[in-house]
Amino acid sequence: MAKKQATPRALAQTKQTRRKWLTFVRMCRYGVNNFSRNLWLTVAATAVMTITLLIIFVTLAARQVLVDTVSTIKDRVDMSIYVRTDTTEDQAAVIKREIQKLPTVKAVTYVSPEQARKNFADENKSDSRTLDALNEATNRLPGTFRVSIQDINDTSELETFVKNNAIYKAHADPDRAASFSGDRRSAIQNIGRWVDFAERAGIIASIVFIVISSLIVFNTIRMAIFNRKEEIQMMKLIGADRNFIRGPFIVEAVVYGVIAAVIATALGVAALYAAKDKLLSYEVAVGGTIASVTMYIPFVLIAMILMGALIGVVSSLLATRKYLKI
Amino acid sequence: MILLDRVTKSYGKDGKPALNRVSLHVEPKEFVIIVGTSGAGKSTLLKLLTRDEKPTSGKIVVGGIDYDTLKDKHIPLLRRKIGVVFQDFKLLPQRTVYENIAFALEIAGMTNREIKNTVPKVIELVGLSGKDKAFPHQLSGGERQRVAIARAVVRQPKILIADEPTGNLDPKHSWDIVRLLEKINQYGTTVLLTTHNVDIVNKLQRRVITIEHGKISSDQAQGSYRQFGGKQ
Repeated sequence: MAKKQATPRALAQTKQTRRKWLTFVRMCRYGVNNFSRNLWLTVAATAVMTITLLIIFVTLAARQVLVDTVSTIKDRVDMSIYVRTDTTEDQAAVIKREIQKLPTVKAVTYVSPEQARKNFADENKSDSRTLDALNEATNRLPGTFRVSIQDINDTSELETFVKNNAIYKAHADPDRAASFSGDRRSAIQNIGRWVDFAERAGIIASIVFIVISSLIVFNTIRMAIFNRKEEIQMMKLIGADRNFIRGPFIVEAVVYGVIAAVIATALGVAALYAAKDKLLSYEVAVGGTIASVTMYIPFVLIAMILMGALIGVVSSLLATRKYLKI
Repeated sequence: MILLDRVTKSYGKDGKPALNRVSLHVEPKEFVIIVGTSGAGKSTLLKLLTRDEKPTSGKIVVGGIDYDTLKDKHIPLLRRKIGVVFQDFKLLPQRTVYENIAFALEIAGMTNREIKNTVPKVIELVGLSGKDKAFPHQLSGGERQRVAIARAVVRQPKILIADEPTGNLDPKHSWDIVRLLEKINQYGTTVLLTTHNVDIVNKLQRRVITIEHGKISSDQAQGSYRQFGGKQ
């Protein structure tokens, strides 16, 4: 059987690849050694990185919680369109269909005058005088369409409908103009504005924190490098190339990043769970965020690790640059 | 092996040059001693040879490599061909004798098997057999300098530069180191030794180059330590 003949060139290529791999493995080993060598520096750098990642985690989670909360509240906002007490269920059904035809409308429910009276009685069942009065009086309560729409800031379509739709106008309650649940609406618009603001503030805060902590990590690594200035000098003089000197520092920073990411994720998720009940009691919609974080925990962890590693790599690249001029 | 042609090195813009139009030629396998007071320009000369500094003007060729055409990324390769030994040893404190020596091979991308074959031989050469697991702080100054020499020669460089290797050692250890350098020289390595030790210079009877005020003031084939100021 003919043996496969390796050309000298291919051999050299394999050898070179093997050397590169060997060098890489050695760099990793030195990096991990360095990590365990200087305990205080390691603790400091890891702590700083943990705090950074935790802040990023909390900022992103808080943003999501805020968005969820606002959208739950928005769902509860509806426009009330009133029809006269004598409107029959059939007539109401026709009007309901008309409203449903509008593209911006999300949902419509109809509360008939009888239903409204019952609700009113339920709400006041502890107040016997009101109940008595209600039983004696004829029902003057109107029928109500509760319409929730896609975007509370865009009501023009519905307003046009109220003004112009003939079917509705035939039954419209002359005493009661269609209205958004007044106070609630302005409150919600305020919240909407706050969310925009909070979102922007959150992004800016994240960036600022990332920059600050990169600087601290950078400084910590620079200190580590300063401590080993002589060593770097020596390595250079005996012919270590730039990457071989820099490699271990980068590996070291990546190790900080990975450990910090694991700690930060654990702390962040624990904090979410710890705050859950308290937040829910304030009607903060934290459930969705917790559910998705829990469901996608491997991805969250990977994202955190990547982020930590990235901060580590960038800051150690910057920190070593100065000492690596040949 | 080493060729300097009218090399000048000035630090700063209009400072006095540390080296002023120095020309020098060293043959392969030569053993050359460089003497001179501190500040005379010895260190600058060595820094130029290891390409730690660039000359302001003039030409340097070492081992056939012209420094003018040497690219930055090839500097590490050049340095692997030149062994360097320092007065303060510059060993890695957290690594053993063996690891310190192996490190020089690791950076060159040698395989573990090659390293395992080479390092013990060099340890034996410098007379440190049995101490390969010791850390630098467990060794005497002389022993540390042997480790440094072992590290410098393990890649079998063409040139060994020893910058005051005996500066921190007592006379007995100093002589041990010098004998070791002579042994390495016999194996065919060009050795450049700087020293202040009059005794060593006088007894070795080797080529002695004296540097004063940035210039070579004497170059004797079998020289002795010149008293500065022209007296012999």
